[in-house]
Formats: sequence, C-alpha cells, structure tokens
Amino acid sequence: MAGDLAARPPAPAGRLGGPWLLLAPAIVFLALVYAAPLGQVLVLSVTDPAVSLAHYRRVFTTPLYLTVLATTFRTSLVVTLACLALGYPLAYAMARRPGRLAVALLAVVGMSFWTSFLVRTYAWMVILGAKGPVAALAHALGLGRPPQLLFTTFSSTLGMTHILLPYMVMALYAVMKKIDPGHLRAAASLGARPLQGFRHVFLPLSLPGVVNGCLLVFTLCLGFYVTPALIGSPRDMMISQLIAQQVDELLAWGFASALSVVLLAATFAAIAVYTRVAGLDRLWG
Amino acid sequence: MGRIGRRAFIRTGAVAALATAVAGRRGAAPAESQTLNVNTWGGSWTAAEEAAYFKPFTEKTGIAIATVAPVSFAKLKAQVQTRNYEWDVSTINPTELRQAELEGLLEPIDWSIVNRAALGPNQVSSQGIGAVALATGLAYRKDKFPTGGPTSWSDFWDVKRFPGPRSLFNRSFTVMAFALLADGVAPSQLYPMNVDRALRKLSEIKPHIKVWWTQGNQSQQLIRDGEVDMISIWNARANELAEAAVPVEFVWKQAETYGSYWFVPKGTPRAQSAWRFIDFAVQPRPMAEFCTKLSYGPLNPKAFEFIPPAQARKMPTYPEHLKIGFFPDPAWLGPNMAMIKERFAQWLAT
Repeated sequence: MAGDLAARPPAPAGRLGGPWLLLAPAIVFLALVYAAPLGQVLVLSVTDPAVSLAHYRRVFTTPLYLTVLATTFRTSLVVTLACLALGYPLAYAMARRPGRLAVALLAVVGMSFWTSFLVRTYAWMVILGAKGPVAALAHALGLGRPPQLLFTTFSSTLGMTHILLPYMVMALYAVMKKIDPGHLRAAASLGARPLQGFRHVFLPLSLPGVVNGCLLVFTLCLGFYVTPALIGSPRDMMISQLIAQQVDELLAWGFASALSVVLLAATFAAIAVYTRVAGLDRLWG
Repeated sequence: MGRIGRRAFIRTGAVAALATAVAGRRGAAPAESQTLNVNTWGGSWTAAEEAAYFKPFTEKTGIAIATVAPVSFAKLKAQVQTRNYEWDVSTINPTELRQAELEGLLEPIDWSIVNRAALGPNQVSSQGIGAVALATGLAYRKDKFPTGGPTSWSDFWDVKRFPGPRSLFNRSFTVMAFALLADGVAPSQLYPMNVDRALRKLSEIKPHIKVWWTQGNQSQQLIRDGEVDMISIWNARANELAEAAVPVEFVWKQAETYGSYWFVPKGTPRAQSAWRFIDFAVQPRPMAEFCTKLSYGPLNPKAFEFIPPAQARKMPTYPEHLKIGFFPDPAWLGPNMAMIKERFAQWLAT
C-alpha cells in the first residue's frame, strides 16, 4: 500500500506536465515546420490569386486531374502489393535464418536503400533499354527483339517497387525479428506442421509489420514523380508531376496548393479506411 | 573555462566581430565590397560563364561573383514575395520571362547602365535582355535511312515513307508547333496557336512515339543506343553525338529557336551591380566567347564577328538557320501557358 503510493508520481503536475514538457520541443518543431506551412497551403488554395473556390472547381471538373489522381492511387496500390509480395519472404529469411545469410541480405537491402534513387532509376533505363542485358539475353536465346520494356507501365512499376522495397523489408524485419522463436517451437511441440505454425502463429504476429510496411510504402509512393517521369509512359503520370509543373513552370501556387490539398485529403481518407479494415490502432496498441 | 568566463569571452568576441564588420563597411567603396549572386545551371554551363563573363567582369569592375545553382523559376517568385534574395541575376526562357513580367516579378531594365547601342534588334524584351539560344529540331540516324532521311516535320509524321520508332521532347508548345508545321501551317502563322488542330495532328503520330523525353541526356541515350530512329532534340546535344561519331543528322529546317534572357528580380538591393553585369555579358565579345565553348547561338548578331565561320554554322542563331527555322511567340505563349500545359497533359494522359 505504502509502496504503491510512493511509486505514484507526484500528481497532477508531474503526471500531466512531465510528458507534455518532454513533447514540447517536438510539438513546437512540428508546428513550425509542418503544421504552419500546411496551413499556409490550405489558405493559398482558396486565396491565391483571389478568394474563391475556383481552384477546387477546376480540379473536380477537368478530367485530367481526377484521371491522374486515380492513376496515382492505382499505381501506389500495385507497387505496395508488389513490395509486400517480394519483401515478405525476404524479411522472413532475414529474421528466421540469422547468420551470414541474414547479414548479407541486410547489407544488400541497406545498400539499395542508400543508393540515390536517381541512380537506381537510370540503372533501370540501361537494364531495360534496347541495348541492355535483357534485350541481349532475349537475342542470345533466339527469342528475337523483346517487346518494349522501357517507358511502359511495367518499367515504372518495377522501378518504384525497387526503390520502395527496402522500406517494406525494414518494416517487416523489425517486427519479425522480435517474434520469439519459442512460439514456433511451442506450436511444433503441440503437433503443428511448419506451414500450420507459420499460418497460425508467425503470420498473425508479423501482421503489424505488414500493416506498417504497406502504409509506409503506399504513402511514399503517392508522392513519387521522378521515376515514372523518367522510365514510365506518359499515361502513368502521377499527381505530383502536375503539382510540380504548377509550382515550377506556371507559378500557379494557388492551384498547386488546391491539388496538394486534394491529394492530402484523399490520402487521409484512404488511411482512414485502411485503419478501419486493418485495425491499425489495435495493432499498434 | 568557467561559466562567467565563457560568457565574457562570447561577449568580447561579438563586440570584436561587430567592430570588424563596421570597419569593413567604412573601409571599402560600396560597389567593390559587393558580391553579386548569379543564378546558373551548374556544370559546363557555369564553367563557360566563369570564363566568358564572371572572371573578366570581376577584373574590370572589382565586383565579385558568387554562383547559385540550379536555375529555378519558382525561386524567383519566392524571392520577390519574401524579399529575401539568394541571387540577383538569372536567365530565363522567353515565355517564362513574359509570365514573370505579367506577374510583376522583375526589375525594369536600367537604361542608364545598359548600353542599348551595343545590342541586336530582337535582343530586348521589356524587362529582360537576350543572351544565347538553343534550337530544338529534328534529328535522325543516318544508318537507318541510307537513301535519305526525313527533312521536315511532315516527313516525321510520314510513317510510311520513314518507318521506325520515334521520340519527341515532352514540351507542350514545342511539339504543338511541330504538329502544326507538319499539318502545313506556315511558320509565320503558328501564333496564336490553334491548339485543337495541333492536338488532332499529334494524335496521328502518338502511337509511333516510343518515348516522350524530359531530360537532355535521356534524349542522347535514345538516339545513340538506337532506341529510336528519329527524335526532336537540342542542337547542342545532337552536335555532341555527331562529334562522338554517332551517325546522327540534325535538320535545321523548321527547328525551334528558344533563347535565354538575363533579368533582375524585383526589389533586389544589388540591382545596379546586376545591370552592370548584364550590360557586360550581352556585349558581342563575351557572348561570342561563351558560345564558342558550348554550342549555343548568340542572340546579339554582332557576336558572330568574333566566332570562326565553321563554328558559327553549328549555332542556332546563324543567319541561314534562322531563315528556315522559327521563334516561339512569348507574347501569346506567356499568358496562355497554363491552358496549353493542361490541354497537353490531358491529351498525353488519355
């Protein structure tokens, strides 16, 4: 009893003030560099050059912007699923087979992560190009001229998947590494075959990593534009390309802001739905 | 060092620094103590500027030059809005110049400093002065067309006579002008542009355009590696390839010549030095020096007096090339750019 009281922090100032005081630097920082500019973007979207909702009307009535927004979300979804399909087995191998293999894989993923994404994009240009190794291999095998690989939806999806894969692998690996191997041994001792053990024990325990990784890759992908611009077809235009054009080439910051706000709102909506479905808070809690 | 000691130390240091700053300001003449910040593209462009403009200008005036890269149109607006000037002089293309003039982002030309008599007739816009120009034109691989390649935009559109994959520069108003030329519009009748007609004509060639390139080195890679057989490309890039023994022929007929213009952002405290610099850089001799280093064409025709004829013939503003090429019209393009880009992006995305 006395011990309980002693362990309790001096209420209420300490209980409330302590965490808030610790959070204060981060909150002030975020308010200055994140919330304030975001608010400015919101204000610009309805005031530049004049106070009106005309920019939003233009976004929703010009087919271009809705088409490109839909392409952006579809591309992000495809890239996220591709990253998950490739990243899950990779992270699994790294987490479950510690030793040289894991270290080597971790190094490969890390090196790919630290290489400039521009370099990696240009590398795909060389690999998939008409004089690249893929075309040479097809020629050597007598398959003739391969179909056009570069500047297609395929090449831009491949490029973005390659660039975002490390994020997925890191998110999955961080969670999988913490799964106690004892759980799987316990499952096996109770008669579960390896596949059953994986399905009923490992997979559910790794889901927080899946949820985090997918969310991370999906939101990062929504903002991509250099890779699809360089190795994709014009049909794969992402909304960020149009926003950049409005900012850099047309100085139409009001309209650019409106496009950004629509993208942000659509992203929040997607995350809200995702949270519902995936039970994000439950997994994080 | 104790707490008090450190504080005292900092205080002394600050006073000393302040004293030096004040002394420095009193000591030197204002123009000579100034550093002019020039916005530039970096790489070989900046190196050529260094030799042709910056070094001789500093030697002549004592005004030091610092460079800031890369060139950013958006930065111009941000600078003028915040009145915080990272650079005082930059170059810009003529349509952006027109857009900036319309938005009130530029200083008027200071004719008390700039010597108008030294300039060419078409070199001056209301708030910018022409520097050098680059041409975007048709180029093809000579090995793919041994009996003679395409020599006009109608030939580029003629996929029966000249089959093979093609690439175009992903710049809306440029390819629209090419489409209108292919459709029989005379170069003098291009502007105001019939956008519907241009896009209709572009739709004919769209299935044959393998790549819409966006970066200069990308355009070179496409034609060098045989990814495409013909392309719209910058003359300087085609020239580089030809010098590297790639069988590429650049067609001057119906090439679009697009310049860069010097300007000063509105409100910069170093506007006077900036105009002094521009006055220096647009003179025939420094301009000729810059253009002989890179394959750009001088917008001051008097510069050709200082350029060897063999080299002059490779430049877009060489009089013979100008006769068969065309200039985009910034007066029409500037205010219509948002519409053109939106229509083009829509056409490209669907």
